[in-house]
Amino acid sequence: MELLNIIKSRRSVRRFKDEKIPKERLMKILEAGIWAPSGSNIQPWEFILVTGNDTIEKIKLISPGLFGIPSALIVLCINKKRAEKGGRAGESTALMDVSMAAQNMMLMAYSLGIGSCPIVSFNKTALKELLDVPEYVEPVLIISLGYPEFWPKPPKRRSLKEVVHVEKFG
Amino acid sequence: MKSSDDILSDDHFKLLAFLITSARGCVDEPPLYGPLRLADAAARLIEIMGKEGKVVPEILELQKLIEDKKDLVMYDEEGFIEFLDELSRKLAEIIKKS
Repeated sequence: MELLNIIKSRRSVRRFKDEKIPKERLMKILEAGIWAPSGSNIQPWEFILVTGNDTIEKIKLISPGLFGIPSALIVLCINKKRAEKGGRAGESTALMDVSMAAQNMMLMAYSLGIGSCPIVSFNKTALKELLDVPEYVEPVLIISLGYPEFWPKPPKRRSLKEVVHVEKFG
Repeated sequence: MKSSDDILSDDHFKLLAFLITSARGCVDEPPLYGPLRLADAAARLIEIMGKEGKVVPEILELQKLIEDKKDLVMYDEEGFIEFLDELSRKLAEIIKKS
């Protein structure tokens, strides 16, 4: 599949089939994540893969933005000790790094026929408690994964003309 | 008293967890996510009422409307607000004829 088609066709999926994702596919998705760009190559990320139904159910309880019953979750976290190496910009750079890793993962998932949805509406305090996440690690995003019941229609995008400024703003 | 294992599958507890975590989430989230969480909670409450035999078809229609249209919040703000108006109107119809 052409890369632009993959990028344009990926959707946020919130309804999943009751079908497990093979472990090797999940590892491929995670591998795509670690090859994201990273400011100063700090790689401030930590990824927690969750596939157990009981744990997914518990995470759903504390995540108002998690819809459907996904087969797996990836919790993307910032390792604050590593992020500090980036100086005053370390925190915001770490967020960008993790975001780029997330996009890599979601595109990889889509190329494998797996739906995904990025979720920020979850309770960080409760999630850290549930998953024994240490104090210096901050969960910032959950990606839900599963085979989609259907691929949603694309939402409207602001046009290139509206958002692209050539040579100068405006 | 229920055991802690039982409580995780208890529908009322699930709603309780949703309400508490939504309350915290709404502090930081976009303003329209407050109405979204309330509408979502309403749908979850109807689900519980259904299991307890407390719903009429008109109430199930409210639930379907919420499930069908709650995602509007992400791409059509005006449409989402119109959906909340529609939901309110349908609720009033149920109240009026009861």
